[in-house]
Amino acid sequence: MGLSLFHRLRSGITPYLLLGLALLFLAYLLSAATQDSSRLNDLFLPIFGLGFAILLLLFGILARNIYKLYRDFKLKKEGARLTLRLVSLFALLILVSTTIVYSFSIHFLHRGITSWFDVKVEQALNDSLELSRTAFGIRMRTLLRQTRMMTGLLSELPNRDLNHNIRELTQLSGAIELSLWTMDGQLITTSLENPALIIPSRPNEAIFRQLEAQEDYIGLDPDNGDLQLRAAVRLPIKKAAQEERFLQVIFPVNEHLSSLGKTVQIAYTDYKELSYLRKPLISVFTLALSLIVLLTLLASIWFAIWIARRIVQPLQELAAGTQAVASGNYNTKLQSASGHDEIGFLVRSFNQMTQRLTQARHATQNSHRQLEQQTNYLTTVLGSLSSGVLTIDNKHLLRTANIASSKILHANLQHSLEETIEDLSKKSPQTRPLTQLIDHQLNQKESWQQQVELQQKKGLQTLMCRGTLLENNAGWVIVFDDVTTLLQAQRNAAWGEVARRLAHEIKNPLTPIQLSADRLQHKYLPLLPADQTHTLTKLTNTIISQVEAMKEMVNDFSDYARSPGLQLQAQAIGQLIREVLALYQSNPKHQFTLLNSVEDITLNIDRTRIRQVLHNLFKNAIEASEEAQLEVDIILSYHRLIVDEQQWLEITFHDHGPGIPEDMVNTLFEPYATNKTKGTGLGLAIVKKIIEEHHGQVWAENTDPTGACIIIRLPLEEPRS
Amino acid sequence: MVFIMPASVIARLKILFWLLLLSTAVQAETFSISSVQVNHIGNGYTLDATIKYPLTPRVIEAIDNGVPIVFLQQFELIKSVPILGNYWQWNETLWASNIRHELRYHALSQQYVLNAMDTNSQRNFPSLNDALQALGKISGLTLPPEYFSHPDNLILQLRSGIDLHALPTPMRPGALISSKWQLTSPWIEAQWD
Repeated sequence: MGLSLFHRLRSGITPYLLLGLALLFLAYLLSAATQDSSRLNDLFLPIFGLGFAILLLLFGILARNIYKLYRDFKLKKEGARLTLRLVSLFALLILVSTTIVYSFSIHFLHRGITSWFDVKVEQALNDSLELSRTAFGIRMRTLLRQTRMMTGLLSELPNRDLNHNIRELTQLSGAIELSLWTMDGQLITTSLENPALIIPSRPNEAIFRQLEAQEDYIGLDPDNGDLQLRAAVRLPIKKAAQEERFLQVIFPVNEHLSSLGKTVQIAYTDYKELSYLRKPLISVFTLALSLIVLLTLLASIWFAIWIARRIVQPLQELAAGTQAVASGNYNTKLQSASGHDEIGFLVRSFNQMTQRLTQARHATQNSHRQLEQQTNYLTTVLGSLSSGVLTIDNKHLLRTANIASSKILHANLQHSLEETIEDLSKKSPQTRPLTQLIDHQLNQKESWQQQVELQQKKGLQTLMCRGTLLENNAGWVIVFDDVTTLLQAQRNAAWGEVARRLAHEIKNPLTPIQLSADRLQHKYLPLLPADQTHTLTKLTNTIISQVEAMKEMVNDFSDYARSPGLQLQAQAIGQLIREVLALYQSNPKHQFTLLNSVEDITLNIDRTRIRQVLHNLFKNAIEASEEAQLEVDIILSYHRLIVDEQQWLEITFHDHGPGIPEDMVNTLFEPYATNKTKGTGLGLAIVKKIIEEHHGQVWAENTDPTGACIIIRLPLEEPRS
Repeated sequence: MVFIMPASVIARLKILFWLLLLSTAVQAETFSISSVQVNHIGNGYTLDATIKYPLTPRVIEAIDNGVPIVFLQQFELIKSVPILGNYWQWNETLWASNIRHELRYHALSQQYVLNAMDTNSQRNFPSLNDALQALGKISGLTLPPEYFSHPDNLILQLRSGIDLHALPTPMRPGALISSKWQLTSPWIEAQWD
């Protein structure tokens, strides 16, 4: 409980309250003491005691403050270093100034008090005292003689006459008092001038001792401020067995002499007392001064700490606020903005700054959000575009690429952002013609448009590229479209028209030619001599067979040009392949392998036309191998496949023939693109036409080490819009 | 917070304690009361006492320099009621009195003047010893008779000392803390005849 009381007393504002009360009380005591100097004597100790108590209290408070300061400094709290520096400076200033004032005060105090005393004055006082004593000595000797004469007189008288004679002697001598005593201290008789007194003044033991030593006594007696002379003389013994007696006479002192003597006595005593009190006086003054100086010093240092704290506190808050702002908290607002000084101005400015920062940040966030929305909008628009869009900055770095661009180029451009277009061509070599074109055109200062062909896995791809220069030469926007299909369609349409016309124009005269050749043979063969018949037969047969071949060719053209509507129906593809394959398996030299899918895949196709596709492909593969005098070994497979989130049926024809010449890979499916001796050169063109009518894809690849592979993909569901 | 003092600090404190004891041992000889006697004379009671006043050089120096010294003689009459035999008594102060004498040196007459402050009667002595002897001799001091109707269980005690608060102001702080001025005798009970 005591400990908790102590803790309560030494914490919070209790010490300050105590100090305030003590100071008030001290002020009251001091005012009381200064108003009435007689009270100073009584209040002297309480004032000193209270002063010491306040000093101790102040010391405690200061120690606590300094400890706090030290602890804050150790913990590296914000502002502790500045506070400590300020306090040290203040304390140094206070210490220096107070020490100077204190040392000068002490010096002047010593000098002042010492200057009260003067050797000459002291000597003069001693001398005046000695003079007074001498003056009194002369008088005393006279009176002693007078007293001795009186004792001589009295010793002659019988006891009964003593009373009367003493009275007479008193009057004659002018004494105040005459008394006759035995040496045992018994009063024999007395005569008093003062009627108020009954008993004479009894001589003290020292006088008795002196008389016993046969010495007469004469002395100056202070008596309640007055001076009187006392003489005591033994009476001579005239008769044996007479009691030993002595006479005590008290004489008055001349009033003037008495007054002078008193003045000298008072002045001497006062001076001597003052001189004796010099040291204690200096000590007390020094003590009082030290107490006041210490009180001032401690209070000043305490005040310095308080002031320093008060100065530093807003700075501390400013520092904390700045840190908060630095760490991103722009809503920081400082409270103590009440002062009208520079610090108050600083705090208000800080608050304005944070407010503006907050506003600016909000504005930035808003514009950022708008920009983001715009970017998102643009990205969505670009993403929904079927055209590829690239942006390239003036450092030739790829900035943006939409989804369509990756699809068209068959390369993931999102992985090549922030890279140069050369890096893109290294990553995806098939894009090299495009990147070369872009690289070449980037140095121009005008918009451009150009067609470029890329060698893709599925064949040659034709892109239509347009480059637009951005404002302020900030880069380029490249837009490109895959026009392969469009060109193909145009080409197909052109070929279809050619084929239809050929079929129409050529087919009509072929039958009369064939019939005419036949009639020529029948009519003129019997007419010719035997040695020439052979020639005619040979010639007409040639005409007939060539016309037949032309007919076939024209039929093929007719097939290619004709494009009736597809008769779609559900068909299991495995079954269809096996049906067609059965027709070719009759030749034991030919080897076919069908890699069965885990399931038979059913899809909507025009059964007749897909059958034609399969026939054409078988025929093409067998003929290619036979022409190269290689073994016919064809591997077939069909399976389900998911590409670009779409399900496909993939059918592959892999032969072990001579493969496709490099220069023909891209034109293999064009009409008359053949290196074979047989055929019309329309087989693969028809295949491609039918597959495209089914919204499928077909392309050819050379396989390692020999052979080629024709790949067909048919959509297993409706193509997505 | 718990303070655990190191052994060295405890050792130092012990030394300080012994030094304090030693300092009280060398303290100056205090005033002493050699005899106190209450006499029954007729209907009244008087008191005789002898007090020795061995002054320290510091006090003598002050007197010789003209500083007046006030001696206090304190009397207390106590009624002691035993509550638990001799072990515990109920003490009630019936009467208390102070006799004050001022002793000062009169330089002109070279006499020591002893002034009874209550009666303003003055006695002069050629030497300090005479003055102190006279001061220490109390004879026939009349005690207030109203308290002596039942003199059983009455205790009269006496002590004497210097009134430090009567010293001149500059001397007082020094005297109050100096052992050379702390000469007050212990309380001594009077003997009853």
